Amino acid sequence: MAPWILVGLFVIGPWREIVMFRGRARCVRAAGAAMAGTLLLAAAADAQVPLQRPGQQRPWADRNPDIGTGQATSLAHAQPAPAAFAEITDETGRHVRIPQPVRRIVSLAPSLTETLYALGAQDRLVGDTDYCDYPPEAQKKPKVGGAINPNLEQIAALRPDLVLMTKSLNRYETVRALDDLHIPSYATDPHTVDDIISSTARLAEVLGIGEAGQALAQELRQRLTEIEGRVGELPRRRVLFVVWSDPLISVGRNTFIADALRRARAISVIDTAQDWPQVSLEEVVHLQPEALIFAATHPQAEARDFAALAQRPGWRDLEAVRKSRFVVITDAVNRPAPRLISAIEELARQLHPEAFSERPRTSPAAPPGLESRTADRDSRASWGACACSR
Amino acid sequence: MSATAARFPATDVRLSVEQVSYAYAANPSQAPLFTLEATSFQARPGEIVAILGPNASGKSTLLKLISGALAPLSGRVLLNGFPTHSLDPRARARRIAVVQQESRLLFPARVWEFVLQRRHPYSRGLAFESEEDVLIAKNALAQVGAVALNDRWLDQISGGEKQRVILARALAQQPLLLLLDEPTLHLDIGAQVDLLEALQRLARQNRYTVVVVTHELNLAGGYSDQVVLLHRGKSLRVGPPASVYQRELLEQVFQTALTVEMGGSGRPRVSILSDS
Amino acid sequence: MQPLTLGRLFARCAVLGVVLLLVTLVALKLGAVPVSLYGLGRDLIRVAMGKSSELASEYRLIVFDIRLPRILLGIFVGASLSVAGASFQALLRNPLADPYVLGVSSGAALGAIFALIAAPHLGVAPAVAALFTPLGAFLGAATTIAAVYFLGRRQGAIDSGTLLLAGIISASFLSALIMLLMTTLPSSNVRGMAFWLMGDLSTPPPRSLQWFLGVVFFVAAGAIYTTAADLNLLLAGEQEAIHLGVDLGRVRLVVYIAASVLTGLAVSVSGAIGYVGLLVPHAIRLLFGGDYRVLLPTTALGGAIAVVIADTLARTVVAPTELSVGAVTAMAGAPFFIYLLRRRLT
Repeated sequence: MAPWILVGLFVIGPWREIVMFRGRARCVRAAGAAMAGTLLLAAAADAQVPLQRPGQQRPWADRNPDIGTGQATSLAHAQPAPAAFAEITDETGRHVRIPQPVRRIVSLAPSLTETLYALGAQDRLVGDTDYCDYPPEAQKKPKVGGAINPNLEQIAALRPDLVLMTKSLNRYETVRALDDLHIPSYATDPHTVDDIISSTARLAEVLGIGEAGQALAQELRQRLTEIEGRVGELPRRRVLFVVWSDPLISVGRNTFIADALRRARAISVIDTAQDWPQVSLEEVVHLQPEALIFAATHPQAEARDFAALAQRPGWRDLEAVRKSRFVVITDAVNRPAPRLISAIEELARQLHPEAFSERPRTSPAAPPGLESRTADRDSRASWGACACSR
Repeated sequence: MSATAARFPATDVRLSVEQVSYAYAANPSQAPLFTLEATSFQARPGEIVAILGPNASGKSTLLKLISGALAPLSGRVLLNGFPTHSLDPRARARRIAVVQQESRLLFPARVWEFVLQRRHPYSRGLAFESEEDVLIAKNALAQVGAVALNDRWLDQISGGEKQRVILARALAQQPLLLLLDEPTLHLDIGAQVDLLEALQRLARQNRYTVVVVTHELNLAGGYSDQVVLLHRGKSLRVGPPASVYQRELLEQVFQTALTVEMGGSGRPRVSILSDS
Repeated sequence: MQPLTLGRLFARCAVLGVVLLLVTLVALKLGAVPVSLYGLGRDLIRVAMGKSSELASEYRLIVFDIRLPRILLGIFVGASLSVAGASFQALLRNPLADPYVLGVSSGAALGAIFALIAAPHLGVAPAVAALFTPLGAFLGAATTIAAVYFLGRRQGAIDSGTLLLAGIISASFLSALIMLLMTTLPSSNVRGMAFWLMGDLSTPPPRSLQWFLGVVFFVAAGAIYTTAADLNLLLAGEQEAIHLGVDLGRVRLVVYIAASVLTGLAVSVSGAIGYVGLLVPHAIRLLFGGDYRVLLPTTALGGAIAVVIADTLARTVVAPTELSVGAVTAMAGAPFFIYLLRRRLT
C-alpha cells in the first residue's frame, strides 16, 4: 500500500499548490485537503491491490512463463507448490516460516554455498553470489550479485523457497527487503568451529536432509578430535593471522578464525574484541609472533608476495620474517564452512610438523624451524571425498 | 527648524528629517566608531534632495536612517507624518523604494522578471503577479525609456541600461519616496546625465520625493532642489545648491582647490583646479 | 515578456511530469530480469483497472514489489535532494551550494549512524526506533549546515569562497568521524554502511516509515514553497530583500529547517547521493529560468527524473551486480560542478 500512498502524494501535491496560489485558502486548509485526498487515494489503492499478508502462501504454481530466466522457467511446472510449512527460529533469533520441503535455494554467502555442496544439496541451489567460487561448479550457478548488495529482482526471479544468509556477511536491510517480498530467508551466525559444525547440521535439518547433516557433523568432529589427539599437548604457537597485509588487518578473539587457530594449537598474538582489527606494524614488532599465517587461493603467488613483503621496513624487523617462518594455507580458513576443518588440519600440520611425522614425539619444547611450504592439496582431496560420500 | 522648512506649509511636507543622529559601535560598552550628528531637512513631493559629501562622511548612514532600516539614536524621520522606522516592513516597502549600490545577481534573469520582482510588497499570499502588476512594471520600464530592453538578459545589457532598469524596478514599487545610493557610481558621464535627467523628470511628473546620495558635486548642484552637505558625520549646511555651494566650504570638505561659478539657470558649476 | 501564471507553472510541471512518467515506465521495464514492454503495458492496465489479482505472481513481485517501490524511493530522494539543493543555494546565496558539497549529507549520515547505534540500547518499540534514523539524520544535517554557515561568514557577510571551504572541511571532518565509528565498532550493522554511504536505493525503508517520509516531504517542501518569492528577492541581495519587506529571519529559519529535514530524510533512506542538489536546480534554471516559484516544483520533478535514471543505470549496467547510485550521480555531477566553478571564475 505504501508505494500507492507516495503516488497519491505526488498526484495530490499540485492541487494543494493550486489552492495556495489562488490565495483563498490558508496553507493549513490546503495541507489538510491534500492529506485527506491522499488518504482517499491510498484507501482506493488499498481496495484495489489485495495485500499479501505475512505468511500468506504465494501461488508459486501459477507462474508466468514469459518472465524470468530460461533455466528457472523450465523447472517451474515440474514442481508442485509446497504444501507444508515449518515454523522455525534461525540463528539470529528471527522466526521464519519455511516451506517444506525446500526445493529452490538462493545462497547469499560463499560459505553457505560451500556448505550446500558439502551436504550434497547442490541441485537445489538455484542461485548464488559473484563471490561463490568453491567448489568450481558453484561459479556456474546463476548469479544474484554481491553478498552486501544482492539484486533483489534477480533473487525474486529465481523464485527461491528459501534464501540463505549469514549475519557476519549479509546486511539486515536485505533480510528486511526479502521479508517485505515474503521470500523466506534463513540466517546463520556461527562464531566458533563448533558453531559451524552445529550450524551445518541445523541447516541440513531445515532442508530436510538431517541425516546427511548428522553424518557430516560427525565426520568433521571426528577429524577435529584426531587433530586434538595429535597436537593437543603441544605448546601453543604464537602467530599473527594476516587477513590483509596493507593495511595490516588481523582477527579478533571472537572470530571463528581465532577459534580455528586454537584448534590447530596456535594462538593469535592479537587479542581484541573487535572482529577484524586494523593492527599497527609497530605493535606486531613488539609482540614478535613466532609465525605469520596467510590464507590464499594460490599459495605460490602468495609466497612471492611474501618475499616482497619481507623487504619492506617494519616487516623485516620481525623475527618470523627473518627466519622465514610463515605459513600459507588454503583460503578455506576465511569461510565458516565445513572446509574450515581441512584448513585447521593443514595449519596444525604446518605449525606442528613433528606431531604428524610417524616417528614418536620427541621433546616438545624444542621449536623446530618453520619452513615456507605450499598448501597441502591432500586436505582438499579429502574434503572432496567427504562430499562424494553423501 | 531650518530655513527651508519655514517656506512651505507643513501639510505639503512629505519627508521630514528631524534632528536625526546615529552612532556605530563595535559593542555597546565601547566608544562609538562613527557618529552622525543631528541632521534635519524637509522635502516636498516632486523635490530632489542630494546628500553630498566625501567618502565616510555619513551619507549612507543618513540614507539608511531615512529608509527606516536603522533606528535613529535620537530625533525622527517622518514620512507623511509617520516615523519610517516603526512602519510595518511591507507597508514601508510600498512607500519607500531604495536603490542600493550595485548588487550582484547570482543567477541570470530577464529584465521584465527583475522589474516585476519589486511588486512583491503588493503581493497577496502566494498569488502570482496580476495583470495589473505586469502593467505597472511595463509602465515603469516605459517611464525610463527601457521598453526595448524588456526581454533582454540582465547580464547582457550596458551599465547605463542596467541603471535605467534598476530605476524602473524602483518605480514598479510605486513609492512616495525614492532613495538612491550612489546611482551614478559606475556610469560614464553621458549615462550619468541621462539618469539624473530621467530622475528629475520623473520626480516632477509623478510627484516622487527623491533623495540621492552622491559625491558628484556637479550632478548634485545641477539637478537637486536641496543639498545636504555632510562632512565627518556633521551636516554642515542644508539648502538650495546656490546657497550651499561656496568655494571655501567645498574646498574644506573635499580637500581640494576648486572654483564655483553660477550658471545662467541659477545653478552652481564647480571646476576642480587640477594643478595647484 | 511571459509573466508567471498558474497555467505556465502547470505547463512546465506537466512537461517534466510526462518525462518522469516515461522514465518511470522505462525504469520499470529495465532490470536484471527482462520484462517485455507489451507485458508491462498489459499489466499496468490491469492494475489500473483494479484487476491486479489477475497478474502473474512474478510480475507482481518483480515489477510491482521490487522495481516500483525502488523507483518511488528514487523519486522521493531525488525530489528531496534537489529541493534542498535549490534552497541551500538561495539561503547561502551561493550557486555552488549542494547538500553533498556543503558536508550536510555527511552530517546527516553521521547522525543516522549515531541513531542506528543508539536505537537498540534505548529499549523502545521497533516502530519508534525506525524513526530514530531520519531524526538523527535531520539533527546531523541541521548541525552541519549551522556550522558551515557560521564558519563561512566573514565580517558578518557570507563569503562564497569561505563558505565552500567550510563545507569541504566539514565534509572531510565528518567523513573521518564516520570512518572512526565504522572501524572501531564491532557491530555488524555498521559494516554494510560503507555501501549505504555511497548512496544506495536497493533496500527501501520499512513500510511504516514510507508513510512518514512522504508526508514530511510535502510538509517541508511546501514550507519552502511558501518562501519562494522571498527567496527570489534574497538572491537579488540581502539588503534589497529587507527593503522590500522580506522578513529575512523568518525566511531563513523556515528554509534552514525544512531543507535540513529534506536532506536528513533523503540521506537516512538512501545514504549520501551527491550532486543531485547541485546539478538539477542549475539544469532547471537553464530550462525554465530562475524564479523559485517555478524552480522549486520543477526541480523536484527534475531531481526525481535524474535519480530514477541514475538508479536505473546503476542496477542495469553491470547487472546482476549493482553499482552504487551515488557513484553514477558523482560521475555525472563532478564534471558539471567543475564546469560551474570555471564559468563563475571567468
